[in-house]
Amino acid sequence: MKSLRVAILVVCASSLAFAGDPEFHTIVKSIEHTYGVHHLRIPFLGVAMFFARPSGVHGLKLAVFEGFHSPDDTEAVRRVVEHSLGPEWHPFVRVLSRGKQNGETTLIYTNPTGNRMRMMIVNLEPSEAVVVKMDLSDDAIEKWLKEPGEEAEGHRHHQKVRDEDKERDRDKEHDQQMLAKE
Amino acid sequence: MSTKIRKLFPIILLLVVPCVLRAQDIKLPPDIESLSAKAKETVEVNMDGPMLRWASKFLSKEDPEEKEAAKLVENLKSIYVRSYEFTDEKAYSTAEVESLRSQFRSPTWSRVVGVRSEHDGENVDVFFRMEDEKMAGIVIISAEPKELTFVNIVGPIEIDQLADLGGEFGIPRLKTRPPSSKPLAKADKGDQK
Repeated sequence: MKSLRVAILVVCASSLAFAGDPEFHTIVKSIEHTYGVHHLRIPFLGVAMFFARPSGVHGLKLAVFEGFHSPDDTEAVRRVVEHSLGPEWHPFVRVLSRGKQNGETTLIYTNPTGNRMRMMIVNLEPSEAVVVKMDLSDDAIEKWLKEPGEEAEGHRHHQKVRDEDKERDRDKEHDQQMLAKE
Repeated sequence: MSTKIRKLFPIILLLVVPCVLRAQDIKLPPDIESLSAKAKETVEVNMDGPMLRWASKFLSKEDPEEKEAAKLVENLKSIYVRSYEFTDEKAYSTAEVESLRSQFRSPTWSRVVGVRSEHDGENVDVFFRMEDEKMAGIVIISAEPKELTFVNIVGPIEIDQLADLGGEFGIPRLKTRPPSSKPLAKADKGDQK
């Protein structure tokens, strides 16, 4: 019975990271439909994001698409994203880094309403795409308004650290499985 | 004026007026995108009217500089920033920057600042646009050997208010000096808040 309760908690927590947000859901579905990919179901993601969210950020939602092959023309992705988002979303920052193997594009849209700013970030790497939606606190908004380019760069850095952590976890899991087999 | 020209005049006017209006309404020069293709890194920042009015609420009311910036931002129509970083010093040509500058050499635009530094290869041009005898926009083109920044601020703004916006929304901070000294201004991206 205890294990059932734990399982329910895990399922609920991981779905918290995705559910209840039609705009986020639409954009994820559009990417899946257009590029024939599926976002990863990451166990404990909701719990992890609750404890390890960046400062000044809440309502964080994340979808990771592995095996996403970024097209040469990222304009096409931009069109897909903008078509999915409504007119109340404003293109705010776009960062493009060129490189044969490590080219990266970050598209950032904002939806300012009342005293809060919602932000949608789409990060495209050669073999992965990430969609993040978040609500920013006043302090975080100030930072973004002062240095939008720098903040976008910072977000990309955090993304890389998260990717490295994820890879390390996967390696650890793989090692444990190998040991168990032996 | 011959009768033929007089007859053609309305047609010429119809053809010319939209071109003039387009020239006055430049948000981004059409060929600026070609620089992105050569750049190692491109950063684009767009802020339109509603976003700017909303953003002005978040500039500190206690900091006098930010208070001034908030008042100014409320009335602006849009801000566009394009920043390109290149791997090599010769990634873009002087002709390409000159082509950018030339789009702001029209009766509606005036160049107020022009700095050419042979020492560090940093060149800054500031153009402003007049509309009904009032300043209606400012364009900054800052060209360094490995970096090029284009800023277009659309809306009522005075040249001395430009300093208030430096360091906000990705706009480079301009160090202004007394008119007697040369150079008149120096763009310093590294000295942002």
